[in-house]
Amino acid sequence: MREGTLLMKRSVVLLALLALVVTACGSLPGLGSGLKIGMVTDIGQLEDKSFNEFSWKGVQDGARAVGGTATNIVTKDTADYKQNIQQFIDQKYDVIVTVGFLIGTDTLNAAKANPTVQFFGVDQFVADPAPANYQGLLFAENQAGYLAGIVAANITKSNKIGAVGGRSDVPPVVAYIAGYTAAAKAEKPNIQVLVNYTEDFNAPDKGEASAKTMIGQGADVIFQVAGLTGAGALRAACNAKVYGIGVDVDQYLSLPDAKACIITSAEKKLQIATAEAIKRFKDKGKQGGNFFNDAKNGGVAASEIRNLTPVPAGLQDKLNKALEDMKSGKLNPPTK
Amino acid sequence: MTGQERVAEKAARSSTSPALEMRGITKRFPGTLANDGIDLEIRPGEIHALLGENGAGKSTLMNILYGLLTPDSGEILMDGATVTIRDPADAIARGIGMVHQHFMLVPVLSVAENVMLGSEVMRGPVLLDVGEAAKRIRALAEQVGFTIDPGARVEQLSVGQQQRVEIVKALYRRARILVLDEPTAVLTPQETDEIFTVLRRLRTEGTSIVFISHKLDEVLRIADRITVIRRGKVVGELDPGATTEQECADLMVGRSVSLKVDRGVAHPGEPVLSVRGLVVRDDRGHETVRGVDLEIRSGEIVGIAGVAGNGQEELVEAITGLRKPSAGHVSLTGRDVTGAAPRAVRDRGVGYVPADRQRYGLVLGFPVDDNTVLTEYLNEPYAHGVVRDDRAIRKRAETLIVEFDIRAPGPDVRVSTLSGGNQQKVVVAREFGGDKLLILDQPTRGIDVGSTEFIHKRTVEQRDAGSAVLLVSADLDEVLELSDRVLVIHRGRIVGEFDAASAERDKIGLLMARGQAA
Amino acid sequence: MSGARARLGSWWRLAQLPVLAIVLALVIAAAIIIVSSAFTGTGFFPLLPLFAYGALFAGAFASDIALNNTLVAAAPLMLGGLAIGLGFKAGLFNIGVAGQFLAGAFASAVVGAALAQQPVALAVTASLLAAGAAGAALAFIPGWLKAHTGAHEVVTTIMLNNATALLLAWAVTDLVRAPVFTFPRTGEIGNSALPVLLGRNLHLGVPLALITIFAVRWLLERTTLGFEIRTVGANPNAARYAGMPPLVIVPLTMALSGLLGGLAGGIQMLGVIGFYASGISASVGFDSIAVALLGRSDPIGILFAAILFGAFRAGAPLMQITTSVPIEIIDIIQALIILFLAANLIVRRVFRLRAPGLGIEGATTVTRTWGEQVRG
Repeated sequence: MREGTLLMKRSVVLLALLALVVTACGSLPGLGSGLKIGMVTDIGQLEDKSFNEFSWKGVQDGARAVGGTATNIVTKDTADYKQNIQQFIDQKYDVIVTVGFLIGTDTLNAAKANPTVQFFGVDQFVADPAPANYQGLLFAENQAGYLAGIVAANITKSNKIGAVGGRSDVPPVVAYIAGYTAAAKAEKPNIQVLVNYTEDFNAPDKGEASAKTMIGQGADVIFQVAGLTGAGALRAACNAKVYGIGVDVDQYLSLPDAKACIITSAEKKLQIATAEAIKRFKDKGKQGGNFFNDAKNGGVAASEIRNLTPVPAGLQDKLNKALEDMKSGKLNPPTK
Repeated sequence: MTGQERVAEKAARSSTSPALEMRGITKRFPGTLANDGIDLEIRPGEIHALLGENGAGKSTLMNILYGLLTPDSGEILMDGATVTIRDPADAIARGIGMVHQHFMLVPVLSVAENVMLGSEVMRGPVLLDVGEAAKRIRALAEQVGFTIDPGARVEQLSVGQQQRVEIVKALYRRARILVLDEPTAVLTPQETDEIFTVLRRLRTEGTSIVFISHKLDEVLRIADRITVIRRGKVVGELDPGATTEQECADLMVGRSVSLKVDRGVAHPGEPVLSVRGLVVRDDRGHETVRGVDLEIRSGEIVGIAGVAGNGQEELVEAITGLRKPSAGHVSLTGRDVTGAAPRAVRDRGVGYVPADRQRYGLVLGFPVDDNTVLTEYLNEPYAHGVVRDDRAIRKRAETLIVEFDIRAPGPDVRVSTLSGGNQQKVVVAREFGGDKLLILDQPTRGIDVGSTEFIHKRTVEQRDAGSAVLLVSADLDEVLELSDRVLVIHRGRIVGEFDAASAERDKIGLLMARGQAA
Repeated sequence: MSGARARLGSWWRLAQLPVLAIVLALVIAAAIIIVSSAFTGTGFFPLLPLFAYGALFAGAFASDIALNNTLVAAAPLMLGGLAIGLGFKAGLFNIGVAGQFLAGAFASAVVGAALAQQPVALAVTASLLAAGAAGAALAFIPGWLKAHTGAHEVVTTIMLNNATALLLAWAVTDLVRAPVFTFPRTGEIGNSALPVLLGRNLHLGVPLALITIFAVRWLLERTTLGFEIRTVGANPNAARYAGMPPLVIVPLTMALSGLLGGLAGGIQMLGVIGFYASGISASVGFDSIAVALLGRSDPIGILFAAILFGAFRAGAPLMQITTSVPIEIIDIIQALIILFLAANLIVRRVFRLRAPGLGIEGATTVTRTWGEQVRG
């Protein structure tokens, strides 16, 4: 017991010291001047080789370009979205970038309550009436899908390619697959495109079954547009030693399970999208509505071609050409 | 050993210095002075009995010796030099071995593995050398005069054999001073004799033995010297050759105690408990009660004598509702309660002191007061509706503490901090009441004379107040002393019935052992 | 020793191990921060932990906003911690609080959306009741299975956690999806939202959680049911001997535990999140285990433990913003605390404590109940 009270005293002294330090230094000095840009991640970790990581890289690029500072808060729980955004507001940040559609509601509410702060929402659709200080960063999925379709049509040997979709009532999914199908038909008019909507984003087993069926029917390229379900589809492709094509980000990096068979991914250039958004704000002030990142502004691309030696002759040229045509408006892939 | 030999030996030993000396040991717990300046001297090669009631401070003193407790003051000397014993490992290193009342063996390991535990013989850096250990164990066992199979799994051994494993374990670690805490509490008379042979052999080899007990006859039989402790103090040192059980008991309790149960003739009334053709299986599915009939009337005590493990436990559990019988009937005051839930049986007026107080009778982590209402917590005045009445519960505990002389600092101390005997008194205090049937399973196991006397007296009072009493005990003396009728159980069957007046001890002993009288 | 000193002493005896475990965890995490600072933008910076902990403290306690954030984060942990703690008292390890949390969140979101236009009192009450009922119903299943088949609740609740998450993901996409949104989620909860009582976000759930702390304490300490729960937990054999029916008490305790877990989800949903979607995380369910262990299953201990973990939650963003020490360090600190509680020998060695037997009750619950059958 004597030991106990002594320890207690020591702890009190320790706490008092800590309190002293706390009051002495509110925050670290010397963290730059200029625009303060904060990013709130989607649930998970920062280095996810996916939305969080590349959005963050873009935010850093943007901050560098405009002479500002960038900070992030990693979200660990759905319930923390609101508070994490609020932290940046309380710390008088000028620009707040939030990642993922789940955080959209909280971002919208924060934008309404803080009209002097600029908000950007990666992958968030801002519905009318939209506040003038909140812009959704969206992507031309039909164009990214089109690029994927070109690759698929050029590497298939069986002349049969597949696409595993998530829910058929989610427009971006449909747009990816519409672009993919259109490109394939344009490349090879007699090609057969097998499309299956699993109506589920979270069922790897369904994706695997769906892809297996297509492979059984002769498909030798599988494009996934189905979240976790799609990860199962790519796994099936790898197991069957056929080609796989990823979606949204370079899944060769983000999905180590399917590294062996991913040829490319229909990619949203998140890094460019967030960096450009910050520059737009710096140049033109408040941004509202939705901003579509597409071929014109470098917002979509086919990821680096991998697992393919040699790369079929002319494939890269075809991709570049399609990008040019989409930029100039000559080529408009369907969205449905 | 003859008296002359004993004297000669004693003379030879007194010339040598003590192997162990404890001087002025004082240990205070919140609310009690457990040890109050105790002096104890253990000579080489003697069996030194430590005699005292439950809670007198014997265990505290030995726990201090074994490094489990630190004394508030006082010193320990070994071979004349002061030592500090920090923990049990330290004690073992100094040659102190301890055999606890509750064995500290791992049931699923073999004898050899148990003995090695903590002091493993290694073959290379990772492999245990069980073979080498087994050899040493066998040698040690032979040395002290018993056989033991080092490969046998401990769970397959009888209690007496397990105790020998504990002793071997201590010897294996080269114990020079061996402390035995109530070693005979759980043994049959034969096993007790065997253990005594072992202890005498060890004494001859020069090992000092501290023998903690409150069984007076045993202490007188085995000890060279007796130190009596009462309420934390040494109150006397006795020479076994020159004292009597009565003197020991009086010194221990601090007043004159009666070792004989003082009771009048029973006046049996209406039948209370009636058991017909009862068959019960144990946890492994073996039939351990195989067709028992018995009847107990109000105002009589019926004792069941038998070697432990002959179905007594399952019989009692089936009567109290803890175990479902596979055949037969149990009725209480004419109402069939076969297979009824424990609460239903209790509600028909049954008090039950279970054999294993720590497993069934008490919640060790709870305070005394909660334990005194463990079976009546739902009833007025301890609860009003769903809300408990702490004041009433506390009052009940305080009353019982006084009435049953429970040595506890207060009603709010955890039962686990009480000595075994006082724990038992908590159970007895709770279960003795105005019940129609009182079931006592080993009611005085591990309990000192003072408490035993008290419990026996209360049992008789209970009988005289009109209760039917079923007594189950491994202690044949207790059964004979207390019962109006004695039933002998052997392999799940009642093999004999005797009137208290006409019961012959030898005949019952044979029935217990063999199931037949010749 | 005077009365006050004695009380302080006995308080310290109970709290010393958790408190010292926290201190030790902070010290080790500080070392990790210092070492890792060498590999980041700040460069090697030995004082960084002081700044980081300073910011953590400031973000959790230094303003009324911070204090509110802490309490709002602590409230579901209090309920979740009580859920686990109540189970521990009965010798049950309800790992399913994560699932019960989700069930409660989902039920309150659905009922809340349906009653969005009703008067606040009705909408809030009904939504919270739905949350509690959903959690209780979900937890009753493993309780019943344990009592009647001996299936261990750790196994069944873990299974149910997964089943629940998947089932609810399906329900929100196919059954109760609100039409106006671009992704599957439940509708706006409108009047079912817990009223904000103080500042910007201190909602009704906070006082509710505090009241529940004392309600559970009352249940355990002062009622016959609480006595039965504690007896079944401390010595199931003695409970049977005393005539308590474990076959009833085990499922009932699980259901009560689930009720608390569901309520945790309810207040989080109605007070903070506002809608159910399949990506909703249930970290509260698992943090609650840590809270219950740290609070030693005692309601008051759980109160303090929940506030501590809530403070970590609330202070972490400021720490990350101002010092760039990542939020993950909080996970490390929490994990270390639990590690030191479980392996309390380490703490005793470091601080030279002698009092034995002050370890965590949960660990013994897990090991002791494993493979044990409920007998009726």
